[in-house]
Amino acid sequence: MKDLFYDTREPIAALATPWGESALAVVRTTGDGSVEKFAELFSSPGKILTAEGFTMHYGYLLDPSSGIEVDQITAAVYKAPRSYTGQDSVEIFCHGSLPGIKSILKALQKGGFREAAPGEFTLRAFLNGKMDLSQAEAVAEIIDAKSVRAHNLALNRLSGGVFKRINSIKNELTQFMSAVEVQLDYPDDEIGGDTVLPSDAVKKALESIQELINSFEIGVLYREGITVALAGGTNAGKSSLFNLFLREDRSIVSEIDGTTRDYIESWITLQGLPVRLFDTAGLRDAQHPVEKEGIKRSNEIIANSALVLYLIDGQSGMSDADKKVVEENRNNRRYLFVWNKIDTKAAETPSWAVGVSALSSEGFTVLENEIVERIMGSRHSASDVMIDSLRQKNLLERSLEALNRVKEGVDTGVSLDGVAMDLKDALDALGEITGEVTSDEILNNIFSNFCVGK
Amino acid sequence: MDFDAIVIGGGHAGIEACLSVSRLGFKTLLITQSLDAIGRLSCNPAVGGLSKGNIVREVDALGGEMARLIDASMIQFRILNRRKGPAVQAPRAQADKFLYSSLAKRTLEHEPGLSIFQDTVTDLLVSASGREIQGVVTERGNTITSSVVVLTTGTFMEGKIFIGEYQASSGRLGEPAAVGLGTNLRKRGFRVGRMKTGTPARVARSSIDFSKMEIQEGDEEMLPFSFSEKKINRPSVPCYITFTNSGTHGVINTNMFRSPLYGGDIVGKGPRYCPSLEDKVVRFPDRDRHQIFVEPEGLESEEMYLNGISTSLPEDVQIDFLRTIPGLENVVIMRPGYAVEYDYMDPTQLYPWLETKNISGLFVAGQTNGTSGYEEAACQGLVAGINAGLKLQKKEPLVLSRTDSYTGVLIDDLVTLGTEEPYRMFTSRAEYRLNLRHDSADIRLLPIGYRAGLQSRENMDRLNEKIKGIEEIRELLDKRRVKEKDLENLPEDYKIHVGKSFSRILKNPDASLEDLIPLEPELSRYPSRWVTHAGLDVKYEGYIKRQNQQVSRFKRMEKMKIPPDFNYDSVEGISSESREKLKAIRPLSLGQASRISGVRNSDIAVLMVLIGRKGGGRGD
Repeated sequence: MKDLFYDTREPIAALATPWGESALAVVRTTGDGSVEKFAELFSSPGKILTAEGFTMHYGYLLDPSSGIEVDQITAAVYKAPRSYTGQDSVEIFCHGSLPGIKSILKALQKGGFREAAPGEFTLRAFLNGKMDLSQAEAVAEIIDAKSVRAHNLALNRLSGGVFKRINSIKNELTQFMSAVEVQLDYPDDEIGGDTVLPSDAVKKALESIQELINSFEIGVLYREGITVALAGGTNAGKSSLFNLFLREDRSIVSEIDGTTRDYIESWITLQGLPVRLFDTAGLRDAQHPVEKEGIKRSNEIIANSALVLYLIDGQSGMSDADKKVVEENRNNRRYLFVWNKIDTKAAETPSWAVGVSALSSEGFTVLENEIVERIMGSRHSASDVMIDSLRQKNLLERSLEALNRVKEGVDTGVSLDGVAMDLKDALDALGEITGEVTSDEILNNIFSNFCVGK
Repeated sequence: MDFDAIVIGGGHAGIEACLSVSRLGFKTLLITQSLDAIGRLSCNPAVGGLSKGNIVREVDALGGEMARLIDASMIQFRILNRRKGPAVQAPRAQADKFLYSSLAKRTLEHEPGLSIFQDTVTDLLVSASGREIQGVVTERGNTITSSVVVLTTGTFMEGKIFIGEYQASSGRLGEPAAVGLGTNLRKRGFRVGRMKTGTPARVARSSIDFSKMEIQEGDEEMLPFSFSEKKINRPSVPCYITFTNSGTHGVINTNMFRSPLYGGDIVGKGPRYCPSLEDKVVRFPDRDRHQIFVEPEGLESEEMYLNGISTSLPEDVQIDFLRTIPGLENVVIMRPGYAVEYDYMDPTQLYPWLETKNISGLFVAGQTNGTSGYEEAACQGLVAGINAGLKLQKKEPLVLSRTDSYTGVLIDDLVTLGTEEPYRMFTSRAEYRLNLRHDSADIRLLPIGYRAGLQSRENMDRLNEKIKGIEEIRELLDKRRVKEKDLENLPEDYKIHVGKSFSRILKNPDASLEDLIPLEPELSRYPSRWVTHAGLDVKYEGYIKRQNQQVSRFKRMEKMKIPPDFNYDSVEGISSESREKLKAIRPLSLGQASRISGVRNSDIAVLMVLIGRKGGGRGD
């Protein structure tokens, strides 16, 4: 909690684009006096000082101690309250080289801008009435969203899908609670005999909450993606398959060569699911001693992947190495065996493998479905809304736990005042999600999820 | 100043208020409209009940009088809900209401430093700024000055009673209303509204055929409400149960048009939880009968109270419908039932120590704050009295918490949420009721009463002895195991528990302490109520632990204090609706702020940031 209570007016600065080499980068500043402070660092301060909001200015950023030009930039000036944070702000568009960005940030700090804490820009936007809490929370998710589906999930919260679902669970539980409370609020001789409690409500609520919790895990998949590794012998066609995945999908985020060229990785999207695909190229030159380190790394990737696509050359049949891997992992759902080159006169695809031609793309759709099926697997949820914040998941789990105790209490005949207490616990946890119950954890939970610069 | 403190009204709130300020050493005056009406039980002749019994014990623990008054005047005692969980068991006693009232008057008369005076207050004396109390002005033209005033007007402020077409300016049947004060409070800018309540007919005992009714005896043991282990030796008389029927409901339906409730004469809102019989017939048309408890008003009295069928129908209709009821075929009415409408002050105008935000030194308690019930009135009167005393001592006010008492729950509800109808306490209003058992009121509150100066050192010592004893009993329960040979003296189903400790066995819902006590002679060394107390603590240990977790979550929000003069207008980013509500209530903590209806979670988050940063204030 404490770390949140910084001054919410003083000028701050942070890199708003990802920390990495790119053509352009954006450095964000905001706070009282941020325009004036920035002007002092700009090659033509007068232009900035007299600038209207929503104007762009071209010039140089200067180091305040040496007066040396740090970078050629464009500055966008925003005047309070018409900015993201509601305060005066300047956004600096600069070159995307890491040393360049570093010197810009350094210059800004010398010029009186404090380094922003994670979520501080959004916190200010929130404090200045630019967004409410549920929007703020969702903003975090939208920023993090790695695919269109994830984006929709984040937006869904804005439209209140989760809210509605949890409210309907709460309503049912509240009715159950009322039935319990009537028993507790009046003495026996005034309300007569025991009434039957509608315990079905608890069972139903338990199911609905469990589904929402499951939906979180699916949500995590969509937001954070999943790692899939291509493995197999040197001539099994891994690279062709890798390229096929890349061709099939236009939403490639990046393609980075492994630093020692022992693997290649790329983000792809499979049926909306973000997948980080590795081609563990290390295995192809396994005999070269210089690449021993590469083999080690490839093995690590395979070990840490959620799914391993193990390619076998169907044309030449299984090598001894293949046989060993198949033997060991045939019943391992983490291994998906791919029988490649079915366009040639390959041996018939075995029942434990998926046949595919990396060249003609024959069987590729089946493979794709199988991959998604393997990844989703038991993470099934009938829920049409998804929760996607860890806070919500934790609260749902607290509610689930309490409800299990309610069920147990009702079943074993614990006195109703005890049952009611657990019921309150369950309802409170749900209430914290919908915002009716306030706990001191809300702020920390929400703003600490943000990156710096957001 | 003529007096340090003036208390207006001699009902259950006024009694506690004037006794507590006076006992804190201040020269106090009680002004009441009738010396003969002090401590009257205007409605049912009973004290206690679910959650209310807990409140009586809380009043006692804090140093109030109600428990001692009922202990000395009870004519039946019962612990309600013995079969249900410990949090919803409570003591209830039938009172000899004439004895109760005369004991109350005698107690006040014998209190040194307390004067009693019969007059009617019509206005307040307030400083030129309008912000400080200086005394009162009465109907007979007396001006009496004081540093603090406690207002406890009950149903008398602009009271008006209704019996069918009959209307009169009264606070109780036959007792004139206090006219003028309500109007003057409105003029001073207070939000004053109307509420309504009602009472049933009192009928002649000799006209009732009890053979047609179910008899309801009290418990064999009469236990004191007050902090004492002594049994009470007083006569115990039964109550009786009978029911209305379709004939009764027919009479009421036919004559409904003559009810002032449905004729629009009464504007005040009545208690939803204690509806009149007319209300019950209209609201629950499917119910073919409603229960009536026939309760004695006193040992010497011919009057019997018909609990459950309060009414304001005309007297001829009352006698008609009563005579349809088994056992009441030839009943004779001695006092008719009636409705009473009166002024109450919106309690959100108060701080949690029951002082008005507008006029410093003016405290308000009881029905004037929109509550219903003797116990609810008494606990407010006591808190108002203690705080009036603390103000005179220039000390910090006493604010009870939702986690330490029903009294705390009641006051927090009133000052945070206000009330639209007469507020009655229920166990369900207390989130942490497992911790608010009637048998723990002394442990919870006696030390607070002691610190406030209303409890004796002797009682503190006795309390510490009790706490120690309960700990010893718990150790015994942990150590003592059920042995093979114990089974001879135990029900069959204890077989599976051989070798387990008493504590462990008790956690089983089917196991009871009563079965185990005879096995261990050591336990008989302690008062039986201590053993019961320890047994409940053990049996519900898991629940109490979890409750304590809830409590600590709650307390984290309560600990974040907001200054009463916090400038909400300077806070950006909260909705204007919330801003208005926060300005009206002036919550003292983020916890209290979060309970105000309509204040959004995100607004609390904003306050949380600001309060945490600056300890209040905006600091731009």
